[in-house]
Amino acid sequence: MASLNTFGAILTYAINLEADLCDYYESAGEEDLARNADKRRATLERIRREYVVEITLEPIEGLDEADYALDLEDKTEAGQRAVAQTAARFYSDVAPKINVRQAQRALEKCGQQYVELA
Amino acid sequence: MAKKLKNYINGQWVEATTETYIPVYNPATCEVIAQCPDSTHEDVDKAVQAAQAAFDEWRRTPALNRAQYMHRFKTIIEDRFEEISQQVVEENGKTLDEARGEVRRGIESIDFATGVPFLMRNDGVEDISSGIDETTVRQPAGVFAAITPFNFPAMVPLWFLPTAITCGNTFILKPSPQTPVSMDILFQLLEDLDLPEGVVNLVHGGKDASMAVMEHPGVTGVSFVGSTPVAKLVYETCTRHGKRVQAQGGAKNYIAVMPDANMEASVKNILGAAYGCAGQRCLAAAVAVGVGDAYDKLRDELVRQASNLKVGYGLDETTQMGTIVSYEAKQRIESMIQKGIEEGAKAELDGRDLTIGGYEQGSFVGPTILSGVTPEMSVAREEIFGPVLSLMKADSFEEAVEIINNSHFGNAASIFTTNGKFAREFKYQVNAGNIGVNIGVAAPSASFPFGGQKDSFFGDLHGQGSDSIEFYTERKIVIERWV
Repeated sequence: MASLNTFGAILTYAINLEADLCDYYESAGEEDLARNADKRRATLERIRREYVVEITLEPIEGLDEADYALDLEDKTEAGQRAVAQTAARFYSDVAPKINVRQAQRALEKCGQQYVELA
Repeated sequence: MAKKLKNYINGQWVEATTETYIPVYNPATCEVIAQCPDSTHEDVDKAVQAAQAAFDEWRRTPALNRAQYMHRFKTIIEDRFEEISQQVVEENGKTLDEARGEVRRGIESIDFATGVPFLMRNDGVEDISSGIDETTVRQPAGVFAAITPFNFPAMVPLWFLPTAITCGNTFILKPSPQTPVSMDILFQLLEDLDLPEGVVNLVHGGKDASMAVMEHPGVTGVSFVGSTPVAKLVYETCTRHGKRVQAQGGAKNYIAVMPDANMEASVKNILGAAYGCAGQRCLAAAVAVGVGDAYDKLRDELVRQASNLKVGYGLDETTQMGTIVSYEAKQRIESMIQKGIEEGAKAELDGRDLTIGGYEQGSFVGPTILSGVTPEMSVAREEIFGPVLSLMKADSFEEAVEIINNSHFGNAASIFTTNGKFAREFKYQVNAGNIGVNIGVAAPSASFPFGGQKDSFFGDLHGQGSDSIEFYTERKIVIERWV
């Protein structure tokens, strides 16, 4: 089952992920991390709007959102590390599947920020 | 209760002078989402009078200020980007990504229009004769109108309106009665711009309203996008009434796939070209010509990838192909598939009789691939305007070019190859207005004219790009001598 099978499905999943993580970090008392997640969410919304290239929309294969489930209940340090690891893996998996370089770069940048937290 | 749409004339939302309303369906759910008035000659006349009355003041509004309206228009569309995109899905049936891509393309046309103060500049020569200077100036030409189709309800009107009014003209839009709601939203945004009354006008309706636009003596020029028979009628009617006209018609776009092409990557892109917008676009790939060894590989890879496409309701982000615009269109497409099979084509993939759970009333046709198609078959000659890709075989590059050039359409053609010589010769030899090299949808950006030749275009100046500046202006030559 490939639920992340379009440009929009991937970007929308990433936007929702950042919104969830913003709430997660806020409730964990990590204000800076929450702010960064919200900033990433806004960037990804802009990317979805500005870099959807209608003439090169192509089906995407091999990605399933079930592989990136997050445990947002665990707010311990280890829990936060696990969440960051999953988010980093998500971004590193999806970025190469996107055929618009500027969108790819934005996803890679998001992933890099989670690598630093993991 | 579905919204009863109104016309927007002279800065006011007004009811049309008709009792007849056309239901607007969501083609996936079959719900009626709006009622579109079948406006009359009287309604069009009111819009033309308003546009004529507004013209003088508007043309005297400095070009930079006219462009400022477009900067603000762009900003408010960006703010409501998702809402407009979702509306496009609801009335047209395409996927959300396709709708977002469409709105993005529309915004590109607004971007282009912000450059009109630069694009309207002209030239001159001092002392062309002794003490005599000669210059050219571009002036707006009056009231322009556009009659636009269902398949890109947000984008195609924006090919015309922003450039037309930024050049200093006033404007009337008559969108498709099948998909009028996107323009209802965009005209609400235009209302928020506080343009002078009468600069932009919206008249909903069908054939009567279109004829009234084409025949009205107060209209200077008409832009049209639709099928070839109607484009021809629009061209003939408008020219008979002394108007300038650009009429973009239908298409049968061919794609040549060479044996050296990267097959997997090419097919991925060809899928988007053939099944994007469920094939309901004038740049859709309709026939893929496999050259030599490429044919079998192309067929197998196409069937493999197309079988995996997820068809469904466009608002579901995971949908990769949406609906057909109406039940009537679905029936027409299915009957053309049947005709192709009866003429000898083989259905490698048959998208007929497709039902989607939760949307049992929806107008769905799945990706269809017909192989063994030959040039005389109807599926090779006639526009299907649906998710049907016909496969033909050619023994050589030269034969592929010959097949393509024998089409009476000339909207677009593409080649997939890694060989520069084939690419160059294809660009050089193929008679089509838009050429793609390793890209299946050869859609020009807003700053380039949208090509189209043979039965795919009637007129002289195309939409978009420098042609649109020519179309929307008169050029005047000024010869000066001061004694």
